[in-house]
Amino acid sequence: MNNFKKNLLKKRYNAERRFQWYGKIAIGLALTFLAVFMFQIFSKGYSAFQKTWIVTEVHYDKELLLIDAESPSKDDLENADYYDVAYKAMTSLDPGLPEEEDRQLIQMVSYKYETEVKDLLLKNPDFLGKIVPIKLTASDDVDQVHKGNYPRDIPEENRRVNDYQLQIYDMLNERGDILSEFNISFFTNPDSREAELAGIASSFMGTVFSILVCLAFSFPIAVLAAIYLEEFAPKNKFTDFIEVNINNLAAVPSIVFGLLGLGILLAVFNLPRSTPLVGGITLSLMTLPTIIIAARASLKAVPPSIREAALAMGASNMQTTMHHTVPLSMPGTLSGTIIGLAQALGETAPLILIGMVAFVNTIPGTPVDPAASLPVQIYIWSESAERGFVEKVSACIMVLLAFLILMNLAAQIVRHKFEKKWS
Amino acid sequence: MSKIIAENVNVYYGSKQALFDVSINIAEKEVTALIGPSGCGKSTFLRCLNRMNDVIDICRVEGSIKMDDLELNSRKLDVVRLRENVGMVFQKPNPFPKTIYENVAYGPTIHGIAQSKEEMDQIVETSLKKAALWNEVKDRLDEIGTGLSGGQQQRLCIARAISVSPEVILMDEPCSALDPIATAQIEELIDDLKKEVTMVIVTHSMSQAARVSQKTGFFHLGKLIEFGSTEKIFKNPDKQQTQDYITGRFG
Repeated sequence: MNNFKKNLLKKRYNAERRFQWYGKIAIGLALTFLAVFMFQIFSKGYSAFQKTWIVTEVHYDKELLLIDAESPSKDDLENADYYDVAYKAMTSLDPGLPEEEDRQLIQMVSYKYETEVKDLLLKNPDFLGKIVPIKLTASDDVDQVHKGNYPRDIPEENRRVNDYQLQIYDMLNERGDILSEFNISFFTNPDSREAELAGIASSFMGTVFSILVCLAFSFPIAVLAAIYLEEFAPKNKFTDFIEVNINNLAAVPSIVFGLLGLGILLAVFNLPRSTPLVGGITLSLMTLPTIIIAARASLKAVPPSIREAALAMGASNMQTTMHHTVPLSMPGTLSGTIIGLAQALGETAPLILIGMVAFVNTIPGTPVDPAASLPVQIYIWSESAERGFVEKVSACIMVLLAFLILMNLAAQIVRHKFEKKWS
Repeated sequence: MSKIIAENVNVYYGSKQALFDVSINIAEKEVTALIGPSGCGKSTFLRCLNRMNDVIDICRVEGSIKMDDLELNSRKLDVVRLRENVGMVFQKPNPFPKTIYENVAYGPTIHGIAQSKEEMDQIVETSLKKAALWNEVKDRLDEIGTGLSGGQQQRLCIARAISVSPEVILMDEPCSALDPIATAQIEELIDDLKKEVTMVIVTHSMSQAARVSQKTGFFHLGKLIEFGSTEKIFKNPDKQQTQDYITGRFG
């Protein structure tokens, strides 16, 4: 081998090694970004899964409850006046406090503390007349102090928790009367203006309903369109035109579909505003081209020899398509569908336009109840100033990501099952 | 006795003419081989016989092809019925990605040939036996057909084709993807089948044509150059072109 050849060979090997390094660097960068992103979200959001409670004692005094009956019925308990009982439960934490300062103690728990006092008695009617310990949801500010997210060393006038409240908090904490437990209410509560009470139940259900509606509308339409275009439609200028338009549709910004939903579904068809039904249909407009393109690609990928085999056996076009081509294309179609749905899952703009951004403090039971959706919930909370919402935003992102991962997993499993059957 | 009579068949792909005035008589219960260099139109002609050219949008067939007085090249012809009577085996084995049983049972199912499960089992068994595959697969009928070896797959395709008892079987280079042993098995099979079925086979292998066929047609550039008994074509052809091709001087 002469020198020239040797050098050439060396150059080729070097080029390959360099190329491999570029690839490794690219992957390394991508993984780093992902890790930073994940770390950000988890470090900010994990505390949202903890809820802070303040433990105090409540005296279910019949007189204060304004209950006259000897053995009160459920209705009596329901209609009793809990204001004083609840108030006293909190002010008893510091009996020496002058009455006009009581608000400072009341502010340390959520504004729904009266309901919590009431719910405990309704659950345990035999507590009537007794003094029992009770867990009350700590206010957003106390919650943040307890989680260490709130700086204590800034001047009092700039703090939402004043020195007196901090003193009470420290006292309770020392006594072990500040509890930190898994935050179930984050998953069971609808949205709220108060960070300590806000949950994702409404937006989660809204997302589930929207996705189901989206699937129900887009999948059959898209698959039928793809089958017709791929297997039956004559190849002419008109079908070419349709194909170009489907491809263009896939590139239309999602907000445009939102406007379409607003202009047609709400204005013309008068469907109920802010509901997953309208949201799902709007999203399905977006998902349609994605599924059609995926379904057509996987139909096209079915080897023509299979079609020929079926046709030569005397199967009609319809039989060839339904018995052979479509089942063989299903794995590809399904993964395309999941990709489309995953896109729809994260979509915010079109939902904002059709009103799913409204503040909803009820949990939707059907697709025609007003609801938010997870990405919109993230958007709403990220606009809120309270510190409590910062961790909620990250927690909500985690839930959304978990949802996405679950969907992809489901797609993989379905795909795997089908492929096993067909090859 | 002629099974198929083709007269002045012209085939066009768009504006390009692929076959020129092909006229041929295919005898019943014999093997007719079509030979010729690549692109000479022999496959195109074969696909006229079960109307598989319909699949190609730009393809146009002119002329008359009669099978037992039935005009095949007619708009009114029911191609589903035709293909029940004229089976086809392709160059590359193309079993359905389904079980061996389902592969063979597909034709009888869609044509409503079997009335009961027992009858279907019988058809599947007979077809696989005729295709000389039964002994190899009888214990694994529920395995996927595409998992068989190439030669077995091709015999499965033959079993599939004969499951509906066709009168004619068309074979488009059925052995070109197979090794010599599998090829020998298929050829033996063709020899057996000709007792019941009329066969037309397109092949690139001259020796194969000589071995299995009774009649041979030589195609060149879309024209049927010569047609006659295999013995005559290979031993003493009338045309110089045929002689040149047979002896390997071009092709």
